[in-house]
Amino acid sequence: MQLSLGPTQAQLDSCVTCGLCLPHCPTFRLTGDETASPRGRLTAMGAIAEGAVAADEVYARMLSFCLQCRACEAACPSLVPFGQMMEGARARLARERPTTTGRIRRLLVGKLLNLKWLLALVTSGVGLVQRLGIMRLLPRRMRLARGLRRQRVFPHSAVGVHDVAPAVPAGSVALLAGCVMDQWFPAVHDATRGVLSMAGYKVDSPETQRCCGALAAHEGAERDAARMAERNVTALQGYDYIVSDAAGCSAHLKDYGHWAEGGGSVAARTRDITEFVAELIDTGRLPEVDGDGGEVAIHDPCHLRHAQRIVDAPRKIVRAAGHTPVEIDPDGLCCGAAGLYMVYEPDTAEALGERKREQVEMAGPTTVVSANPGCEIQLRAHLGKGYRVLHPIELYWEALNR
Amino acid sequence: MALVDDLRSTLGSDRVRSHPLELIVYDKDAGVTRGEVLAAALPETTQEVAACVRIAAAHGVPVVARGAGTGLAGGSVPAEPALLIVLTRLNQIWEVDEVARTAWVGAGVLNLDLSRATEHLGLHYAPDPSSQAACTVGGNVATNAGGPHCLAEGTTVAHILGVEFVTSDGDVVLLGGKAPDPPGLDLRAVVVGSEGTLGVVTKVLVKLTENPPAVRTLLLTFDSIQAAAATVSGVIAAGIVPAALEMMDQPMVVAVEGFIKAGLPVEAAAVLLAELVGLEEGAAAEAAVVERIATAAGATSVRVAADESERAVLWKARKNAFGAVAQAAPDYYLHDTVVPRTKLVEVMTQIYEIGERNNIRMLNVFHAGDGNLHPLVAYDRREPGMSEKVRAAAEEMVRISVAAGGSLTGEHGVGLEKRDLMGLVFEDVDLDAQARLRDAFDPNGRMNPGKVLPAGARCFDFDLMAGQDGGSS
Ligand SMILES: Cc1cc2nc3c(=O)[nH]c(=O)nc-3n(C[C@H](O)[C@H](O)[C@H](O)COP(=O)(O)OP(=O)(O)OC[C@H]3O[C@@H](n4cnc5c(N)ncnc54)[C@H](O)[C@@H]3O)c2cc1C
Ligand code: SF4
Ligand code: SF4
Repeated sequence: MQLSLGPTQAQLDSCVTCGLCLPHCPTFRLTGDETASPRGRLTAMGAIAEGAVAADEVYARMLSFCLQCRACEAACPSLVPFGQMMEGARARLARERPTTTGRIRRLLVGKLLNLKWLLALVTSGVGLVQRLGIMRLLPRRMRLARGLRRQRVFPHSAVGVHDVAPAVPAGSVALLAGCVMDQWFPAVHDATRGVLSMAGYKVDSPETQRCCGALAAHEGAERDAARMAERNVTALQGYDYIVSDAAGCSAHLKDYGHWAEGGGSVAARTRDITEFVAELIDTGRLPEVDGDGGEVAIHDPCHLRHAQRIVDAPRKIVRAAGHTPVEIDPDGLCCGAAGLYMVYEPDTAEALGERKREQVEMAGPTTVVSANPGCEIQLRAHLGKGYRVLHPIELYWEALNR
Repeated sequence: MALVDDLRSTLGSDRVRSHPLELIVYDKDAGVTRGEVLAAALPETTQEVAACVRIAAAHGVPVVARGAGTGLAGGSVPAEPALLIVLTRLNQIWEVDEVARTAWVGAGVLNLDLSRATEHLGLHYAPDPSSQAACTVGGNVATNAGGPHCLAEGTTVAHILGVEFVTSDGDVVLLGGKAPDPPGLDLRAVVVGSEGTLGVVTKVLVKLTENPPAVRTLLLTFDSIQAAAATVSGVIAAGIVPAALEMMDQPMVVAVEGFIKAGLPVEAAAVLLAELVGLEEGAAAEAAVVERIATAAGATSVRVAADESERAVLWKARKNAFGAVAQAAPDYYLHDTVVPRTKLVEVMTQIYEIGERNNIRMLNVFHAGDGNLHPLVAYDRREPGMSEKVRAAAEEMVRISVAAGGSLTGEHGVGLEKRDLMGLVFEDVDLDAQARLRDAFDPNGRMNPGKVLPAGARCFDFDLMAGQDGGSS
């Protein structure tokens, strides 16, 4: 399929420069600088498209400073498809003005993330380092490592599991295992599989699936992203639903329409686990459990709240688990994780992470739920000891097994 | 040393923007005009602002202040090459005085952030332009911004007790204060609405308003603009001053519904959003009266917001109206005129007529309660001759409003776009007085030059003016 990522002239025209997106943009909030705002980035894309100025490192910096949190997109009354335009603009820049760091990043997210043995090796390494207690020796850029869950020295993967079908299955579900999600968060997959089986679904995690390609798409590695999407379109055929328990992945699967032939079908069948389970609770297929009503802070991952506009679902799940959801941020400003952003923009990630920490501390609860792995890592790195950070589906699965 | 080097050595290089691409990003606000920016500086303190002004003076370069750049009249777009001083980083809130209900805030504090920061005290900042989530208090002061709730509460000027600002010489001046009626000339009110032509506002002492104990929000639908307008007149005639009374016509409702998906009545020819506040019984009683007047005028339905979240959705719909227009066409030109409420229907009819005659697409949303019209023309500037057509229609609309006894600008300011129409509402002597006032503050004409007043405003320029089109006579 011929990729047409944009930004197209029609997309550029759809921005009327009203500025209503500005306060929702984390980088604008931090800097107050129009060049770090959604409107500024769109204006810059337009200027490059027109040929008014050449794409140089200032332009590259304007693009790379963006977290791709898509908060601007959710706030935009003109429905400007910012996320897609930013992916397209980065891809175009990567083609026309390749740099060494860019190449390395694209190699990482476009190729290496798909090498399961390599990920397993890294995971074992992390497991060892954690056990040796030498995490604090890591450089600041690697702060995220401090936010990791305790890793197994012998990692396991959900890829290839086929859970036993109930007598009369409610439907079939393909679980997207994901790349780091699969290796670093096996407990979340276990909870997802448990809850879905309990609701009567037959759950598989197809062997031939790959990483969803979200990180590749964000980095402008368009051909790799397209290749992964194509593979997954085939791997995920035939299932009633495709469920992901990482908001970044479910958001990207819903964008498959412009990444691969047949991607529209994947998009239509994709559900984030939170929206899927919230609906099952609504229709009574899954129970609401009594609990002590303990307070749980809700962190809204950008790719859940802004990209997919899913806001109520995690709250509903927390309530169904017998807890009381507590709000921490009326705007759902990005926590600074943003995929690999926390590695290559440590200062901004740090500032946003600290902001989030303050918000959590103000709110009170010491348990925080986040439906996306990147945010969880960032939250744990910033909140430190005394806080419990987990996926809402884990909280619910725990409650069901109480 | 060059201007940029001087700025860099004062602010550090990461707070000075001067690359051609960055300057393109800064050369426009939410309106349609572009200007030439020499550099954009992002100071953090009053002293840094003063330093920037002095550096500009030393280089003989004019200064233009910029808040969030949500202005619609090109106010922060330089009319001649200038240094842009961006105030967004002056975003601190100091000294919230719960008892006196005042706060000192940096010029760059966002309007809505201020209300949010004082929410726990049961207080808010009353002027609520539709852009309130994005625009700065400094920008509001400079344009004397209004908003839906200014019908009952008054525009920005009624909520500003004092300002700290930097003059064209780089001096820091404090005007007004907590005393309700400070001695001497009330210059504070002169700075409000001066659109950055007298100085750069760095701090503002605002009045905070108590949150009303009860709120009733109604969405009324009509099958004609006339019926909606009759309701507006009826409500005011009944002695009720709603906290807000806003009208949207059908094309506008359709555009907004595309974004917000809140089940707005897309079939209706016009909708009115009315808000009544006060004590529980008062608000409820007034809401009942509004409902009765509307029904008598032919309202086809009345929806009362059941709770705070429904109310929030209705207001979100109203406040995103302008932005939602891009779905209709890539460019928009937003008008902002005021007409006496009694002439509302008459002027609206004429405005629709201008649209039809020129074959341009028009959407309407406005503060009906105080007769502040915002006809919005959606167009595509790449269509040959379109921009000229839109501008000509714009001028015609302003002329009609003024002829009906109205005013040039309701709240967005004069800026660049209406500068040359000032002659319609002001006599030469008025313009001269304004020019002299401006000269007193800024003798060298360095603060946002070429804005607000037409080039020939001073009396001694009359000959020059007479030779131009659209002169002041
Ligand atoms: C969607 C939308 C809805 C809007 N709705 C309304 C509305 O309901 N009511 C209304 O009144 N306006 C409205 N506006 C217009 C605009 O938001 C207001 O004029 C607002 O006050 C501008 O604030 P700003 O911070 O964006 O200022 P800017 O646009 O940056 O500047 C506006 C003017 O103020 C001057 N200025 C800014 N800051 C300072 C300062 N610190 N010192 C001196 N001068 C300064 C600038 O030089 C310029 O002349 C709307 C705009 C949009 C895009
Ligand atoms: S809200 Fe949308 S239309 Fe307005 S400036 Fe932002 S991207 Fe452009
Ligand atoms: S995606 Fe996020 S960081 Fe990027 S411009 Fe939009 S709001 Fe800002």
